[in-house]
Amino acid sequence: MTLPGSIVLVGVSLAVAMVLQILRRWTTVVAWMGALSAGALGTLVLLAPLDEPWQIRNVVIELGAPFIALGRVLVIEPVDRLPLAFLFLTTAGLFLVAWRLLPHSNFFPIGLVAVTLLGSALMVQQVVYAALLVAMASILTVFPLHESGGSAKGGVLYMAYAALALPGLMITQLLLDQFVLFPNDRGLLTTSAVLLSFSFAVLFGAVPFQSWLSAVATDGSPPVVTFIFTVNMGTVWFMLLAYLESYVWLGQQTAFGSLLTTLGLVMMVAGGILAASQQRLGRLVGYATLVDNGAMLLSLGAERVEGLAIAALLLIARPLALSLMTLGLQGLKAIGKGDDSWEAVRGAAWRVPWRVLAFVVGGVALAGFPISLGFTARWGLYRVLASQELLFALLSLAGSGGVMLGLIGSIRALLSRKPRLRWQRKRDEDGLRPVVEDPVVLVVVVVLVIAIVMLGLLPQGASRVALEMAEWHTFFR
Amino acid sequence: MSPFALWLDRISGVTTTTAVWGISLAGAVIYLFAEWRIRLIALLGQYFLIGVLFTRVFMQRPEMALLKMLVGWLVCGAIYLSARIRQDARVRRPKFQWQADLPFRVLSLLVMTVVSYMASQRFTLPFVPQSLALSCILLTVFALLFIGTADEAVVVGVGVLNLLAALDLFYSAQDPGLVVTGLLVMVNLLVGLAISYLTVVEVEETP
Repeated sequence: MTLPGSIVLVGVSLAVAMVLQILRRWTTVVAWMGALSAGALGTLVLLAPLDEPWQIRNVVIELGAPFIALGRVLVIEPVDRLPLAFLFLTTAGLFLVAWRLLPHSNFFPIGLVAVTLLGSALMVQQVVYAALLVAMASILTVFPLHESGGSAKGGVLYMAYAALALPGLMITQLLLDQFVLFPNDRGLLTTSAVLLSFSFAVLFGAVPFQSWLSAVATDGSPPVVTFIFTVNMGTVWFMLLAYLESYVWLGQQTAFGSLLTTLGLVMMVAGGILAASQQRLGRLVGYATLVDNGAMLLSLGAERVEGLAIAALLLIARPLALSLMTLGLQGLKAIGKGDDSWEAVRGAAWRVPWRVLAFVVGGVALAGFPISLGFTARWGLYRVLASQELLFALLSLAGSGGVMLGLIGSIRALLSRKPRLRWQRKRDEDGLRPVVEDPVVLVVVVVLVIAIVMLGLLPQGASRVALEMAEWHTFFR
Repeated sequence: MSPFALWLDRISGVTTTTAVWGISLAGAVIYLFAEWRIRLIALLGQYFLIGVLFTRVFMQRPEMALLKMLVGWLVCGAIYLSARIRQDARVRRPKFQWQADLPFRVLSLLVMTVVSYMASQRFTLPFVPQSLALSCILLTVFALLFIGTADEAVVVGVGVLNLLAALDLFYSAQDPGLVVTGLLVMVNLLVGLAISYLTVVEVEETP
């Protein structure tokens, strides 16, 4: 029996997800099993040859062979390898981060199902199914997002915005198929461009659709927030590239470059302003992500392979920075009893110094400041932009600066002690004692900090991967 | 004729115009009333009428229209369960009430309905007849009203479901393929479950 690689990938991860759901009670087993299986699948896609079949007893697996059902094709193509590996390896890493943070959580089985759907969205040939699969994965992630209770506004908004983006993505394909039949009808092309821009703007949380980003970051469980902002959003990014690859003339004929540049700049500037004025840590994470998304769209708007490589590098840098930032946020929220406002977490640096370190280092990396991989990517972006228009480079730098300002304000609040009256001292003594941290969480924080600094100092390896990712896309040549 | 076919035949006897304005009326009830039982009954009715419209789209396979209707009712069942849990968690006995900002809602509803009607007269949506186009526009407008003006998970969720119904009607008229239909059914069920889950999650915070 011969099995196509796409079916093996989907089948194995769904089977493991089912086992994880059954074993949910044993968090350590579930977290490691999920991480190992996602990691193994990511490594397999990355390293195994696509064109050479390999045999396990009577079963022959051909990684690059297509699976065809009802005329629909599911196949791992060379261009999909790095994106698929990114999705599965990031998921594996996030499972390890969530191991000690989310006991008995359904994040592990649901995360694996979601990444399988997102992977299928990359492997399926027809973009309309990709859009539906992404929507399903987005709705699924809402479940672990609010597992710990509290306000469900973030999940509600995320679900609503994911659904709002769906019609544009699906109808665009209908219109573009019509355009192939009636190439003189330019109106179809214009409508497609508008619908597509609207849908991706919603999915990237572009202004004025940014409210879901901040709501998710404020209300959601931090590791799941990272999953949404890296794995889900990464797939949206790869889906945008797939649309541009499938309909090259769409990008060439409708001034897509200037549209992306404008959108990216607005996102960076608005995100920077909003981040600088925030007094809640969760919202700062949301707006920092908005600025990062803007930087990615701006890189794509440069309409050069270098721009694509910079966007890929930003995407590679994001999981590390966001994981660290949300690890810190989770601890700080616990200090504020679920509240992440400056007032609630004032002086937390003296109680949970490692969490504060995680939040600050992750924040600096996400803002694109040294020493981090994010800085390398942003520096490349500023140079590309400056070669086209200096003002654009300065505006995008200002956006990043806004995130940094918000972070500095947060650091001040985290370091300053609450003023206390004499009679309050005794009663609050316990509240000032440092919290004893889980050693595993500390190890994860230290490993992530070292990884960010090392990748910031030696970005060549990650840059090579990003360039390879970019070179597979041919629409800018 | 089998009872099933007979029933479907009777359903398709409802005119498209009646179904479209019935959907609109059900949407208005959901938008204006705060009592969840009335809203749920309106949603059940809305799904019945959406099913009627689907019989126009799936002329050759009317069982698909029935499937859409059943999925909608299944979602209503999930919402009912979570609404009951939410109500049981409340200390005070619920009483009938309108929405707090009723004048604004009535005005916005009237304006949006007129705009939808005029839009359907002025602009022709590709692939669908005018009566179905009006229903697609109305459902989209209701979706935007629910998502834009409500805070509750249930109402925003109903907005999402209305949007998906509009998309489903529009897309199926052009491409009534089984795979897209199946995937849209799954999306609908997932949304229903998510609404139900999010409604229950918030229970602890309800005073």
